[in-house]
Amino acid sequence: MFPLEMTLEISHQLLLLLENNTMIEIENLTKTFRIPKKKRGAKESSVINAVNKVSFHCEPGRIFSLLGPNGAGKTTTLRMIAGIVKPTSGKATVSNLDVSTNHFEVQKKIGYLTGSTGLYERLNSIETMQFFGKIYDIQSNQIEQRMDYLFDTLGIHEFKKKLIGQLSTGMKQKVSIARTLLHDPDVLIFDEPTSGLDVITAASIIDLIRSAKENNKTVIFSSHTMSEVDLLCDDLAIINKGKIIYNGAYTDFKQEMKADSLTQEFINRVKEASL
Amino acid sequence: MNIIFTIVKKELTELFRERKTIINSFLLPTLIAPILIIVMIKVGQFMEQKQQEQQISIGLVNAPKDFISITEKGTNTFIPLKEPQDFSILIEEGTIQAAVVFPKQWNEHLANLKINEISIHRNSANYLVNNRLEELIQKYEQKLSNERLKQLGISLEKITPFTTHYIETGEQREIFGKQFGGFIPYIFILSMWGGCLLAAVDLVTGEKERKTIETTLLLPISKFKILMGKTIVAALLGFFPAVLSLLGLLLSIQFIPDIPIFLKDAIGSILNFKSISLTFLLLIPFSIFLAGSIISLITSATSFKEAQSKAAPIIMLIIIPLALAMTPDFILTWSTALIPILNIGLSIKEIMAGTIHMGMYSVILISLISLAAAAIYLSHKKFSDEKAILM
Repeated sequence: MFPLEMTLEISHQLLLLLENNTMIEIENLTKTFRIPKKKRGAKESSVINAVNKVSFHCEPGRIFSLLGPNGAGKTTTLRMIAGIVKPTSGKATVSNLDVSTNHFEVQKKIGYLTGSTGLYERLNSIETMQFFGKIYDIQSNQIEQRMDYLFDTLGIHEFKKKLIGQLSTGMKQKVSIARTLLHDPDVLIFDEPTSGLDVITAASIIDLIRSAKENNKTVIFSSHTMSEVDLLCDDLAIINKGKIIYNGAYTDFKQEMKADSLTQEFINRVKEASL
Repeated sequence: MNIIFTIVKKELTELFRERKTIINSFLLPTLIAPILIIVMIKVGQFMEQKQQEQQISIGLVNAPKDFISITEKGTNTFIPLKEPQDFSILIEEGTIQAAVVFPKQWNEHLANLKINEISIHRNSANYLVNNRLEELIQKYEQKLSNERLKQLGISLEKITPFTTHYIETGEQREIFGKQFGGFIPYIFILSMWGGCLLAAVDLVTGEKERKTIETTLLLPISKFKILMGKTIVAALLGFFPAVLSLLGLLLSIQFIPDIPIFLKDAIGSILNFKSISLTFLLLIPFSIFLAGSIISLITSATSFKEAQSKAAPIIMLIIIPLALAMTPDFILTWSTALIPILNIGLSIKEIMAGTIHMGMYSVILISLISLAAAAIYLSHKKFSDEKAILM
């Protein structure tokens, strides 16, 4: 490529970046699972569309909520964005990087948190942070600094040498948050983050999501609890049986509401879509 | 490589904090050889003592006086019986352990230089009684033969056409190696299997049960590196027990008293730096093969129990060729060198005997490396199957 062409190409990309404020772009994302006959006891294998041509986008400094009943396809969608599961078709980009082709670069930009913490129980908090830091290719001194800051902020210092398996659920969730934020990701994905947690621990997660928004992070979280959505979200997508049945700003959703409560509105929309 | 090392370090740290790993991969392999040797010695001593002390009752019918006089006092009790009667009932009841029936014309036949026939009633399952009785009969036969030769005026030399004298051409090490070398792979490979299985199940199925597999898959590194880290750890935890089993064996022959000299000599002569190095060089790819095979089988398992039952068939594929390798019918040839597992058993036997053909050894090593690579390829395929790993 000639230098002039190269300069033009870079300028074009920069222009696109300035025009397009989208951090996550999902286009017709589809995931099908083939269920073998032996698992169902049926004569033939069947195909299940866990996620069916889902499209939406998320912007920095805004909280995007993916709402849906159990088994609607929320986790599969988030797993495809995070690169854990490969899409059958469609495209997912994070920071203009195609997840399928730039798998590891995308994963470095993402912090993923679930309600089940997913921490290694036979390591302590320090070892956990050091392990993730090394995997994320962070310098040792930077790991120490970041760890100190997160441990201070989240109050982990007093139990940092205890094995994760010996910690309470609340303590574990704090370590899990620290682990998620260690590499200072641009995108934070929360998959039903408060599921099964007590009120106090759940509140700390809500605070984290809010502070991430304040720090201009792109936040996407899945839930089946309308109250959480009401507390946090700017943009909303409702997913049912793998298909998006609503996608738009949360303020618009509230204005369009026909039912008395948000929960009832959500139930009505899911029922309508299921007909 | 750095990333794989980081994963290996993390997995080892986690596994070493599990009591099960310490017991199965370190304590048991170290103690297995000393325990086996101590048990063997104690059982041997007990059996010998029992044999010496046990009183056996032999029923005798028409027994000549000199038969009773040749036996040692204290260990045998002779019970005079009358014929005819059902000796099997008496033996079953325990009144006697065996019965010897001499013909009524015993002395007459002896005097006329005729052949007598003695009937021995016994239970062939009772080795101790039968051995003792056989010794007694042989001793008596020898005594009467000598007396008859003397009566005929013939010296023993005249009726002995030849005697035999065996001169062993093989080295003592070769003899011991071929006899005992077949058992060595059993000690190694079974403890390797135990260590590998425990580690692989913990590292793959355990992660699923503890719900950390999603966290691991979210790491910005390839699944192959994650898998390699886990395979190396599972292989190491298979290899360590093998080293410790050998160490236990070497320490046992040094420090356990009462080890029979022949056993001490046997183990001492076959285990040296060269034989140990050659054996362990084979066990490195074999442990990777084991780890890879187990991981590929258990990747889709959702619980420890399911994982263990899925991996169980491998042990049969190991035990059967090893058992065949112990039999004298199977020897290391260019053909058997290509049969997996059997080639390990046969080659270790040859290594211990000091008669290993280095060309064949190289073929076995290459075949094991190929098997290890195939196992890694297979486990990577399974580990990359998101349905298997995430369900």
